[in-house]
Amino acid sequence: MKIVGIVGTNSVESTNRELLKYMKQYYADTAEIEICEIEDIPVFNEPEDKTAPSAVQTLSDKILQADGIIFATPEYDHSIPAVLKNAIEWLSYTTRPLINKPVMIVGASHGSLGTSRAQSHLRQILEAPELKALVMPNAEFLLGRSLEAFDDDGMLVYPNKVKELDHEFNEFVSFVKLTNKLTVNNEFFDASKQFSWKQVANGEDI
Amino acid sequence: MKFIGIVGTNAKKSYNRMLLQYMQKHFESKAEIEILELTDVPMFNESKDQSNSDIIQEFNTKIEAADGVIIATPEHNHSIPAALKSIIEWLSFNLHPLDGKPVMIVGASYNVQGSSRAQLHLRQILDAPGVNANVMPGYEFLLGKVQEAFDEDGNIKSARTVDFLETCFNRFMKFSDIIAQLNLPEDITYQPGTFKVTAVGHNGDLPMSVTLSDDRIESIDIDTSSETKGIADVAFKRVPQQIIDGQTLNVDVVSGASITSNGVIDGVAQAVKMAGADPEILKKRKKSAGPNKQNVIEYQTDVVVVGAGGAGLTAAAKTIQDGKKAIVVEKFPSPGGNTVRAGGPMNAADPAWQNEFPAISGEKHTLKEIMDTDESTIDSEYLEDFRALKGQIAEYLKENDDKKAYLFDSKLLHRIQTYLGGKRTDLKGNTIYGQYDLVKELTDHALESVNWLKDIGVKFDETQVTMPVGALWRRGHKPLGNQGFAYIENLTKYVKEHDGKIITDTAVKQLIIEDGNVKGVIARSSDGKKVIVHAGAVVLASGGFGANTKMLKQYNTYWSDIDDNIKTTNSPAITGDGIRLGQSAGADLVGMGFSQMMPVSDPNTGEIFTGLQVPPQNFVIINQQGKRFVNEYASRDALTQAAIDNGNLFYLLADDEIKKTAYNTSQAQIDKQVENGTLYRADTIEDLAKQLKMDPAVLEDTVKKYNSYVDNGDDPEFHKNAFDLKVKVAPFYATPRKPAIHHTMGGLKIDTDAHVINKDGQIIHGLYAAGEVAGGIHAGNRLGGNSLSDIFTFGRIAADSALKEM
Repeated sequence: MKIVGIVGTNSVESTNRELLKYMKQYYADTAEIEICEIEDIPVFNEPEDKTAPSAVQTLSDKILQADGIIFATPEYDHSIPAVLKNAIEWLSYTTRPLINKPVMIVGASHGSLGTSRAQSHLRQILEAPELKALVMPNAEFLLGRSLEAFDDDGMLVYPNKVKELDHEFNEFVSFVKLTNKLTVNNEFFDASKQFSWKQVANGEDI
Repeated sequence: MKFIGIVGTNAKKSYNRMLLQYMQKHFESKAEIEILELTDVPMFNESKDQSNSDIIQEFNTKIEAADGVIIATPEHNHSIPAALKSIIEWLSFNLHPLDGKPVMIVGASYNVQGSSRAQLHLRQILDAPGVNANVMPGYEFLLGKVQEAFDEDGNIKSARTVDFLETCFNRFMKFSDIIAQLNLPEDITYQPGTFKVTAVGHNGDLPMSVTLSDDRIESIDIDTSSETKGIADVAFKRVPQQIIDGQTLNVDVVSGASITSNGVIDGVAQAVKMAGADPEILKKRKKSAGPNKQNVIEYQTDVVVVGAGGAGLTAAAKTIQDGKKAIVVEKFPSPGGNTVRAGGPMNAADPAWQNEFPAISGEKHTLKEIMDTDESTIDSEYLEDFRALKGQIAEYLKENDDKKAYLFDSKLLHRIQTYLGGKRTDLKGNTIYGQYDLVKELTDHALESVNWLKDIGVKFDETQVTMPVGALWRRGHKPLGNQGFAYIENLTKYVKEHDGKIITDTAVKQLIIEDGNVKGVIARSSDGKKVIVHAGAVVLASGGFGANTKMLKQYNTYWSDIDDNIKTTNSPAITGDGIRLGQSAGADLVGMGFSQMMPVSDPNTGEIFTGLQVPPQNFVIINQQGKRFVNEYASRDALTQAAIDNGNLFYLLADDEIKKTAYNTSQAQIDKQVENGTLYRADTIEDLAKQLKMDPAVLEDTVKKYNSYVDNGDDPEFHKNAFDLKVKVAPFYATPRKPAIHHTMGGLKIDTDAHVINKDGQIIHGLYAAGEVAGGIHAGNRLGGNSLSDIFTFGRIAADSALKEM
C-alpha cells in the first residue's frame, strides 16, 4: 500500500515531521509512506490561468498515485498553519487530486491538547466541495507534549500513544482498502472535478 | 475613529476588497478606514522570522495605532484563505498587535453562504491566545451572491443590506469604545518584601526569591547551583528579564524550555499572590517591548501638591516663598480646577475698607435679625462670640441710629454668618454646623489671604464691596480681570517663575507611605508614563466630588433623591480623587452626606449662564405640567428640593419684556439656542405649552393667576416676595432648568494646621489638605464667596505646617 504523508508545516523543527518519520519507520511492513514537504509551494493568489506551479503539480501527482493520504498538522492559532492551507488551496484550485482519496489526520503539539482544534478545522476544510476527500470518520490521533515524545532513534516513547496509533493506523489501512473497493469512477467524480462556486452562484446545474 | 481594513485575500479581483472600499467611502464621515493588502505578505514560517520586515512592521504599527480592525474574508475550502491566515500567524508570533484590539468580521462570497463558515473559523482563530483579539460578538455581516451586489459605482444596491451594514458598523464603533476602556492598564499594588518561592528545574525544584516594592517587581533571583547547565539556563535568564522589563507575566516561553519557563512564571505569580496582589493583572498586560526606563519618571521635592486649583497653587506658591521646592501634579491639561469657574469675589471682613462705603437698605435689618436670634439656638462653642458680636452690632446701631450709616463688618460677623449659614439637618435628622476652631481660623485669616494674594500679583477692585450670590453680607474682594481666572493666572505665573513645577495631564493614583509617614505620590500620565514624586509632605488639594455621581449617591443623606443624570457646575475633573487618597492613608471623613446644588442649571451641561437668566423678581418657575410649585425667592436649597419633588426638570417662563431683563445673553445667542432646541419660544402661551408637551389650559391658567398676583402685589399660593413684570407680551420663552451639583460639603477631616486626621483622631504625618477636598468648615452649606477665602487661607496654612514639621 502506498501512502503519502504531508508535513503540515514549513518549520525546520517539527514534531509533526518526526511523527510521520516514526510512522514511516514503524509501519514499514504494512505500508510505504512517502513524506512530502510543502515549504516550496508559492503563495496562492488565485491566478487567472489556473495552472499548478511545479511544486504543486509534483505533490498532486504523488497524491493521485497514492492509495491514501496522512496529514500531520500542527496547530497555529486554533487552526491549521497558513502554509498547509496554502497547499490545499492550490490543490483545490488546480488539479483536485484529493477527490475521493482516503485521508487520515494526525497532529502533534508542544502543549497537552495535541492540535485538537486544528484537526477539526482540517476535517471541515477537506469536506469542501472543491476537495471532497474521504476523511476517515471516528478517528483522531492527538499527540500532546510532543517535544518529549520521541527518543534519539525517533521512537515514540509514550506506550499508550504507541498502542493508540497502532489501532488508528490499522483502521486506516482497512479504510483505504474499503474505499478503494467503492466505484471511484462514479458519476459524481467528474462533476466534482468541474465544481466551481461561480457555477453555484450562477445557478448552473452541477 | 481610525480603523484598519484588511482585505482577506491576495487575489487581483476581490469582492471583499470592493466591500471594504465601499465601507471606506460610505462611512467616511464617521470613521477613517485605511485598507491594507496582503499581496506582499510572505508565507509565515517560524524558522525564517520576518517580523521585522517592512510589510509585517507596517501591519504591526498601523494596527497598534488603530482603534479597531475590520477583516473582510472570502471563504476558501470552508475556511479563511491561507494568505489571511499567514498574516494572522505573523501577528501572533513575535508581535501581538491584535492583542485586545476590537475586530469586526465581514465577508462576501459568490454563493448565498456569504463566507459564513470562514467567518466562524476566523472567530476561533482570532480567539487563540497568541492573537487575543476582541471580536465583536453577533452582527454577522455576510454578503452572499456578491457578483450581483454592487452597482457600477461600487455601491451596494440593496438598501436593506446597506441598512444592516450601517447597524453593524455603528455597533462596532460603540464596541471599540467599550473595548478601549477594557484595555486601560490596571494598576497593581504589592505588599513590599522578598518572597521565597520555587522554580521548576530539570533536576527538581529550585529556590527562587522575588523582591517586590509597592508597585514593581524589582528582582527575581533563582538559585541554579543544583541544575545541570544547558538550554534551561536561557529560560532562567531571559524569562526573569522579560518579567522585570515589562512588569508583566505575559512573556514568551523559551522554545525547548517551556517547563522551566513556565516554572519561573508560576513562581513569580505565586510571589505576587503572597504580596496580596492578583497575578492575573500581570498576565493580561502587554508583552515587554524591551527595557524602557523612560516609562518611569521620578522627582524629588519638598512639598508635592495634588491638584492645581486655587488651593493647590496657593500651597505651592507659599512653599516657594519660604524657600523650599514644590511640585504640583494636576490630572487635567491645564491648571485652574474649579477656581477658574468661580464668579470672582472672595469674602474677608476688612472693616477699615468696608466702613468707607455707605450701608444700603436692608443691611441694618439683617443686623437686627441677628440681634434678635434666640441664644438658645446658638451652639455653645459659638455663644461667646455671638454675644460679643451682639455687643459690636448694638454699638454700631447706636452710633448710626440717626444718620446715614456706613457698611459694618467684623471677623465675628463673618464667623457667625458662616456658622449660621452652614447649619443644616439631613434626612436622617443629623444636624451639622461648622467646626468652631476651623471657622475661627478661616474668618481670622481671610483678610491676610487677600493681602497675600496682592503680594503674589493679584489686583483687586477697591472701588466697590460686592456681595457674591448666597454670601449673606457685602464683604467680597473682587479681583480685577477675568473673574476666578485672575487668581489662577497670577498664582501659576508665580509658581512657574520661581522654579516650581506644575505637571499636568497626570493623575495621582497612590500615596507613598513609609512607616506611617506620607512621603510622596505615584501618578500616571495620560500617555501611560508612571510619575513618582518623592517629597517631605503631600498636600491634597484636588477638590470635592461633584463630578462623581456614583460617589454623591453613595454618601448623600441630604437630598431625597439625586438624579442619575445629574450635571455639575464644577470642572469634570472634580471626582473625589483626594478623598480616596486620604482614605487610603486612614483619613476620617466629615459631612459627606451634604452637598450644595445650583437649582437653576442647564439640564444638559450643568452651566448656569444659558437660557434667560433674569433677576428673581422676574422668575416664573413652572413644572413639567405647567404649574407653579415654589416661591421663586426661596433659598437655593428650597428651590432644589422643590425641583427634585417635581421630577428635577422645570422651566423659567418669560415674555418679551422679561427677556429684556436677562443679564447673561444676547439676541443672537437666544436665536441660536431656540434653533438648537435648548430654549423654547412661541407666539402664544398655547403654542409654548404644546412645545413643552403641557396641557395649554393648565399653562394659560398659571399665567393668568401669576399676572393677577403681580397686579395685587400678593401671591396667596406660594407667597413670592417681590414682583416686577407680568407675562403678557409675545413672544414667550421657556428656559429648561435642572438642579446641578455645585459644591460637595463633606471631605477629609482636618485640624487648624490643615493636618489630615485619621479615624483615631490622630494626625497623619506628612499629609495635609486644603479646599473642597476637606470637610467640616462650611458644614452643610457654604456661603457664596467663602470657598475662595477657604482655599487661599488653608492652602497657605497647609504649606506652613508642612514646612514647619519637615
